[in-house]
Amino acid sequence: MDFALTDEQKMLADGAARYVRERCDLESRRKAAASEDGFSRRHWRHFADQGWLALTLPEAAGGLEMTVEDMSILVEELGRGLVCEPLVDSAVTCAHLLSASGSEAARAILADIATGEAIVTLAHLEEGDHSEYDAPVASRAERIDDGWTLSGTKTCVFYGASATHFVVSARNNGDDGYGLFLVAADADGIRREGYSLIDGTRAADVHFDNVRVPASALLHEPATAATVLESALDRAVVIFGAGVVGSMEAVLELTSEYLKTREQYGKPLASFQALKHRMSEMLVETEQARSALYSALAAIDSDDGQRRRRAISGAKALIAQSGHFVIGEGIQLHGGIGVTEEYAVGHHFKALIVYDKRFGDSDFHIERCGQIPAEEPQAP
Amino acid sequence: MDLQLSPDDLAFRDEVRAFLRENLTPEVVYRSHTEVHPPNEEDRRWWNSVLNRKGWAAPSLPVEYGGTGWSPIRRGIFERECRLAGAPELRWQGLRLIGPVICEFGSEDQKKRYIPPILEGTEQWAQGFSEPGAGSDLASLKSTAILDGDKYIVNGQKIWTTEAGYSELGFFLVRTDTTSKHGGISMIIIDMSSPGITVRPIEMINGDPSTFEVFLDNVEVPRENLIGEPGTAWQQTKFLLANERTSSADIDKAYGDLRRIRAIARREHKNGRPLIEDPGFRQRLTQLELEVEALEWSVLRVLCNAPSHHPSAASASVLKIKGSDLQHKLTKLATDALGPRALRLYTREQAFNAQISALWPGYVPGVTHDMLYMRACSIYGGSREIQKNIIAKIAFAM
Repeated sequence: MDFALTDEQKMLADGAARYVRERCDLESRRKAAASEDGFSRRHWRHFADQGWLALTLPEAAGGLEMTVEDMSILVEELGRGLVCEPLVDSAVTCAHLLSASGSEAARAILADIATGEAIVTLAHLEEGDHSEYDAPVASRAERIDDGWTLSGTKTCVFYGASATHFVVSARNNGDDGYGLFLVAADADGIRREGYSLIDGTRAADVHFDNVRVPASALLHEPATAATVLESALDRAVVIFGAGVVGSMEAVLELTSEYLKTREQYGKPLASFQALKHRMSEMLVETEQARSALYSALAAIDSDDGQRRRRAISGAKALIAQSGHFVIGEGIQLHGGIGVTEEYAVGHHFKALIVYDKRFGDSDFHIERCGQIPAEEPQAP
Repeated sequence: MDLQLSPDDLAFRDEVRAFLRENLTPEVVYRSHTEVHPPNEEDRRWWNSVLNRKGWAAPSLPVEYGGTGWSPIRRGIFERECRLAGAPELRWQGLRLIGPVICEFGSEDQKKRYIPPILEGTEQWAQGFSEPGAGSDLASLKSTAILDGDKYIVNGQKIWTTEAGYSELGFFLVRTDTTSKHGGISMIIIDMSSPGITVRPIEMINGDPSTFEVFLDNVEVPRENLIGEPGTAWQQTKFLLANERTSSADIDKAYGDLRRIRAIARREHKNGRPLIEDPGFRQRLTQLELEVEALEWSVLRVLCNAPSHHPSAASASVLKIKGSDLQHKLTKLATDALGPRALRLYTREQAFNAQISALWPGYVPGVTHDMLYMRACSIYGGSREIQKNIIAKIAFAM
């Protein structure tokens, strides 16, 4: 077992850290949030230039075939800087769904994901759903001569108004499960209603009204779609989790610096034991989150589905819980300025809430873990 | 990064399992799993000698003094397997605390005299650090050792001296120079049967005496029992603590506790269904399982010297805070699972002798006892509050 980063991983982390330091100030992030996309096209181009969008893609699509672990190391650094571009949605979640498909259309789009030309996002949640992991899917896919027509309404489609393509889940009459389809966002019959999210990014409700797609749009048959989707979601959960750990580290740094600078009653806040203890508790929780992340990284490629599911759900729950404590207390220790829009700690908090609510919250994942029997340690 | 155990380590684990299977008896396993404190002393000494014959008694010692030469990961595997298999928990004072200190700082004569009985388990040790006026603030200790010819005359009082009542030897912190506040503290080895030593048990809330007061009244100690130079105890104490960076996480016990909680919850009932199927109980159990699993990774990171975003010197305190918090929660959940049967007070003998009747199955004794005992885990070895001070200072320079 070895936790040291490889030289390649170090370069990746350093490059991202430098980018965050030099280019990702809060002011420009707030400006990006106010734009039509809810993120910065300038950052997006830089991501493509750096090869970050191609990191985990297959070589055939111009990708670097690096691992989920590598991507986590990158995203942890970006999380420190509150980076909000659709990197994971497009270049991890949907890219995984595309590269796991044999379809010709998928391969072409993958190359465009790597260059940033394509932004692909998952259109899966529908009214009343709480988690991508157990969404029942009511949208319909009907077979026509040369393909399919898709109908239904998807909600909370992240970056939905800026996406060039969707991966859409829809059910064919008579099939047990749902299939996953690749659909161009400008296809006839698609209507999008975009809205802002609390963290400044944007999502959309997407209505599909008899949208015609060719036969090749079917990325995954119902027999395999749910399994492939689960493994794509697992990757997203772990990598986004790394971003939250980065957020927590940033908040520790911000808060401890603030406590040393701000004076009350004639001495720095850092000299008050109640506040020292709170900082220590925040570190304990941050370390728990990082450990949960490693636990998930260790299991992400496991063939043992039970083990993987438990580790991923466990990490999702613990990272969100620890993050809520650490970043919430980060606000508290800042006092009034912590709840202002011009200060970063509140933005970290909102990014955390987005993580918590995506892919199922902590309650959902703890219950999901509880359904998997813990590995009973062997007694001789 | 490589986050998997190597095939060699997995093969090692199988070897340990096979050894445990061959050498433990059901009676010993039952007593170990009962979690009464202190554990059965005869079992511990017996197991120490069994392990010594295999060469596995002292993973903490350097190889040339009888250690195993295992990597930190293998030590971790070994300890986990021993715990889960129900092997008696070895006394740690000799094997893990003073043994390594003697090997590092002791004279050749001290090594020859003290290390072999530590390996065999025939001489057990008490750790005499805390005093009535020096708990977390160890620097204010008052016990003295004044040189008189070829011997020291030791006077003072120690408290919370774990297992002193049945230990052959003790290592004590004493003031050999009474003129300075922080300097002049030395570590000295004292034969517990020396004239002038009085050992008195402290009755604890869990009912059994595992810790003691030690009164030192003009105790004569040979000069050669001092470890290293006079006044160098801080260096030795720091070394001693650095050897035990992960033990306060209590991770092996936590896994044992989880297994016990699941076993109880499968047998106990709520609303006519096994407790383990109750959603509220399951939610609490799963939460703890996940936190224990995360703590395991925190331990692995420390064992493997993982690069850290924070000074690694803070990591022992981080582990202790989380580990003791989990001990409180785990032992509480175990008693909650028993319901009113958690209230029965067992004698030591009853607890070690399996089930009393069908109404009082073998998984009942020890559970509440352990819960009460474990209230101390956030106090001993540097209280939780002191650990938080340490973290603030080391990690945040606050």
